[in-house]
Amino acid sequence: MAIDGLIILDNTGRPIIQSGFRSKSIAYPLLHVDAFNNALPKSQRPGDIDPVIYVPPYSVADSPSACCHVECGDMRILCPVSGDVDPLFAFAFLQTFTDILREYFGALSAATLKDNFDVVYQLLEETLDSGGHPLTTSPNALRDIVLPPSLLSKLLSVAGANINSTINSGSSIGGPFSSPIPWRKAGLKYNSNEIYFDMEEQLKAIVNKHGTTLTSSVWGKIATNAKLSGTPDCLLTFTNSHVITDCAFHPCVRLQRWKRDRSLSFVPPDGHFTLAEYRFTPSTSATSARFMSAGATPVALSAKENIPIPFILKPTVELTESGVSFEFKLTSRMSSQALESLVAEMYLGEGAGALKCVASRDDGGNAWKGKSEASSVSATGSWSFDSKKMVVRWEIPVVPPSSVWKLQGSYTSTSAPRPAHALQVRFDIASYTFSALKVDQLKVTGEVYKPYKGVRGKASGNVEWRW
Amino acid sequence: MSAEYLNTISENASRLGMRLQESFSEHTRELAITRGSSLYLEPDDKEKNVRKQLDSSSDREKLDAMKRLIALISKGRNVSEYFAQVVKNVASQNLELRKLVYIYLLRYAEHEPDLALLSINTFQKDLSDSNPLIRAMALRVLSGIKVPMIGSIVVLAIKKCAADMSPYVRKAAALAIPKCYDLDTSHLPALIGIISSLLRDRSPLSIGSVAVAFETVCPTRLDMLHQQYRRLCRVLVDVDEWGQINLLNLLLRYVRTMLPRPMEEEIDPDVKFLLTSAEPLFQSRNPAVVFAVTRVLYYAGPPSHHSRIVQPLLRLQHISKEVERVVLAYILAVSRTTPSLFSHFYPHFLLRTDDLRQVKQDKIKVLLLLANHDTHQAILREFIDYADDPDDEVVSDAVRAIGKCAHSMPDCTPQCLTALITMIKNHRDSVVSSAVLVLKYLVQAQLSSSSSSSFVAVAAAPQQSPLSIISSLARRIDDIRHAHARACVIWLVGQYSASSEVSTGPAGIVEWAPDLLRKSAKGFAAEPSLVKLQIITLAAKLLVLCPTDQTLSLIGGYVFSLAKYDLNYDVRDRARMMISLLSGIGLSEAVVPKDLKQDDRGSVVLRREQVRVVLFEGKFGVVDTQNDSDLNVALGSLGMITHKPMHGDSLLPDWLERGVESSLRDTEDDMPAPPPPTNFSSAPLPQKARSLASPVVLTPSGGSPSGGSKLQLTDLDKFYEEEDQDESDGDEGEEQEETSTTESSEDDSEDSDSEDRQGH
Repeated sequence: MAIDGLIILDNTGRPIIQSGFRSKSIAYPLLHVDAFNNALPKSQRPGDIDPVIYVPPYSVADSPSACCHVECGDMRILCPVSGDVDPLFAFAFLQTFTDILREYFGALSAATLKDNFDVVYQLLEETLDSGGHPLTTSPNALRDIVLPPSLLSKLLSVAGANINSTINSGSSIGGPFSSPIPWRKAGLKYNSNEIYFDMEEQLKAIVNKHGTTLTSSVWGKIATNAKLSGTPDCLLTFTNSHVITDCAFHPCVRLQRWKRDRSLSFVPPDGHFTLAEYRFTPSTSATSARFMSAGATPVALSAKENIPIPFILKPTVELTESGVSFEFKLTSRMSSQALESLVAEMYLGEGAGALKCVASRDDGGNAWKGKSEASSVSATGSWSFDSKKMVVRWEIPVVPPSSVWKLQGSYTSTSAPRPAHALQVRFDIASYTFSALKVDQLKVTGEVYKPYKGVRGKASGNVEWRW
Repeated sequence: MSAEYLNTISENASRLGMRLQESFSEHTRELAITRGSSLYLEPDDKEKNVRKQLDSSSDREKLDAMKRLIALISKGRNVSEYFAQVVKNVASQNLELRKLVYIYLLRYAEHEPDLALLSINTFQKDLSDSNPLIRAMALRVLSGIKVPMIGSIVVLAIKKCAADMSPYVRKAAALAIPKCYDLDTSHLPALIGIISSLLRDRSPLSIGSVAVAFETVCPTRLDMLHQQYRRLCRVLVDVDEWGQINLLNLLLRYVRTMLPRPMEEEIDPDVKFLLTSAEPLFQSRNPAVVFAVTRVLYYAGPPSHHSRIVQPLLRLQHISKEVERVVLAYILAVSRTTPSLFSHFYPHFLLRTDDLRQVKQDKIKVLLLLANHDTHQAILREFIDYADDPDDEVVSDAVRAIGKCAHSMPDCTPQCLTALITMIKNHRDSVVSSAVLVLKYLVQAQLSSSSSSSFVAVAAAPQQSPLSIISSLARRIDDIRHAHARACVIWLVGQYSASSEVSTGPAGIVEWAPDLLRKSAKGFAAEPSLVKLQIITLAAKLLVLCPTDQTLSLIGGYVFSLAKYDLNYDVRDRARMMISLLSGIGLSEAVVPKDLKQDDRGSVVLRREQVRVVLFEGKFGVVDTQNDSDLNVALGSLGMITHKPMHGDSLLPDWLERGVESSLRDTEDDMPAPPPPTNFSSAPLPQKARSLASPVVLTPSGGSPSGGSKLQLTDLDKFYEEEDQDESDGDEGEEQEETSTTESSEDDSEDSDSEDRQGH
């Protein structure tokens, strides 16, 4: 399996960086850039564009191909593929490549890449063979070969003396590919050894117009930041590992150990990485669902597996020939924690305009003294209209426990209004996990020091509430 | 050792100091640290200087020039004219400069083969560089020069690198093989030799690239894998993720070609071994790996294994929008053959409003396949909700899905019909038109099936008998604006307008039909030709049913005379045809002109019964226009996503009837190991012992998957240590130090092979 190459486009659709398409004609990359730029304006809603675009053959002798693409900051990365290649392969590589770029440059934008284009080219050469086969994709190994841009390296390169890059500069440790473990740098030294685990969980749910949860699932990942010297061998155990299932691991995790006693044994890579991904199974029905016992009805199963939604939404929408008036009432169901940066969005449909809304806090006490703080967003919430995406956005910075919020509004439409019949609600909850997955202990062997360990939870949600 | 180490450091420091001093004094005014490299992208007239800079003696100047060249490349400019100057710097001592030179060369070596040949000595020298990065790069450039003349040099270089001690270089060697083969196919025997030696490579790091080389150079030589098959299965877990994909595909092809088809209860142990070694990879973070495993289980596993692919595929759906789009298409393909696999997980396929259009459409198709008597209620409710979607295409898919539900599951027919009839009253054009089209299909299907068993149940509800549906459609014709839908209603009314009941209207005709003809005749001129054709047909049908009615003849004659002078020739033709067809049934002059009537030219004139047969029974069978033609492509190929032939050859070979001898795959590895050699490190190992050395397993833990055989599993550290010791025999000095550090950082976790270690 091999991809044909990579093309990075800026927000005007012009290629800024591309890998060499050696086995293809010169027109090939241009064909794909055109195919993408032509497909973009045809999408019904901005961004609603098929991620795999069919590109017809250029000439009779040519074979057809397809253009896989992803959005990345203000850029698009295109990945032409042809023949029998699995598009998943292209998307997996694109994901890996953007992760590497993020690791090197932080937030990505066309400007950053232009600032560091020589590094990007070096990265392209090292991650992708000219035949389109991925080469070195582990960030730890790459950092040995391609130096990340830093002020020091810039200074040195201006001075014309890059000590690290001078060939045969002495020690045998630290050279490229000297590490016996492909994902870990060799010879690391830290003054304070630390390792942090972030349990990041996301609730995805769909609620129907009667307020019944149709489907809900919690997907989590353990984002890790390791700053450990030498070659530590870590063993992470959980007190309640039975609550997670459908796991995926970083290559460093020993799969057999997990299978045997559900503990994570690994030699971590250096720096940020995702140790594991999992799905939270709220009840013990997980096993019965997996083996699909004939007796259990699926309705009962899904009901049992539902995770409570941390808020209630009461939508009232009236559709008329030429406009829509709506009222949404949101009540937090959390008992102690606040929902943070809550954003609710609704697509209003083509031709919507003249949107007028009032956002307010609706529960007794605060509405009373609301007059004086009416201007402050945190007291009332705020709304905005994105005329490009035709989306009304309702934002509440902090939703305290059991508070009630309201958005009232109306808009007119040039044709019969066709809004999406659902509200997309996204929110964060700090230091909270849905699964209550708990780390029992972390044992580090193979090194003498005792590292500082940190674990924290972070929950977010993306709920579709239909009306 | 440490003295030497210190020496190099101090040497470097002094060198750095000197450089800093001279360059700072020279270039302080140009210090543009904060601006990054983007200044190279700005247009200026410095291009002329590039040549001079490249020829200068300062690394800084050269680096500057190279960055400028790379910037020009990324702007799409052809800078091959500087090739000669660039090539000279290939032997530079500065690693960064050298890498940029290689990047340049990799791009242009093809276009300037003659100049590249000039530097071929440098590349060959670089093949022996102490830095594996340089060795690999040199090989990559060398194999990129498209001059058949140097083919044998490239083969030699590949052979040299294939025996390199760094797996990174061996990987580069494997990837160079296909390029060399493209260059000159006559090197095939030599290349196959290299591949078979690389296949025996004990390190899992390069094996994925070897699989690539194998697939492009000698895909039919699967017999070379007999001896390696079991070992490849065993190391699968430790291969890098991209290699796993290639290796899994190769092994899948191997079992399909060489082994007997697995039946329930009776699976060849070697097939089973592949299945059990592949399954843990479902836990890979890479979606492409997970899907490669899915392919293996789906195409090499017996049907009872297929349920194992369900959860991993569902997990992939949540990775990203793009992955979801692709995986859904695969799930759809799987559910077409075995809907029962996913039917319990239908809530995973409910639509979200922010899904991509393609995803929504595929989800509707999947849900439709998953609907069975347990789930159809919920799924039907979903479809009805989706008819409110802002996207017209999704709406029409959802409505069509409701129709298919009604057709395939008689239980829910009444419910579907109620839903569809309510939709006709909807104020949205797209909903109405899709609903009408679906209703037509349903009504037609049910009226035409003589054994309308499903309809007996429905007929109980008078609202939903086919005829009442037709009548309500006919009465709402003014609300139905979509041309296709209007044409549909008119045809439907005409087709089923015969009635034996006594009504207030013309005899033998259902009461709503004449009124529909009246309404449509009134607006005839403004209708699209598609609708006009159906109006003509309707008029003709009604006239055949009741030729005596005066009013009907007048309306019919009006329609025909309008149609005769229509702009569209299809409409004119249809009108003429109908007029002559009806000439024999004794109609009034208003319809059939006298001259035509009396014109006895010996042409055949049909009697009324014959005309009726022609008009009403000319068309047979219910055709569902929406037919998902599925290309015959395997899961995991591009054609399945684009629904167009992609000129690949993804078809998997079919199983063998019996399979080849299993003993062919027996290797020494599977035999009980001889007593471990005692003098492991001191002397070069005898060849036999070397081949028995333990395979590398990155995950040292109990129980090797191979079962009873006494495999010596080591982890990677130990493997490398062992290798280093081998190498240190020939290459003392540097390696010694590395060995000692790895030894000190030895982990003391659970060791399944601690006795083995004590043997050292």
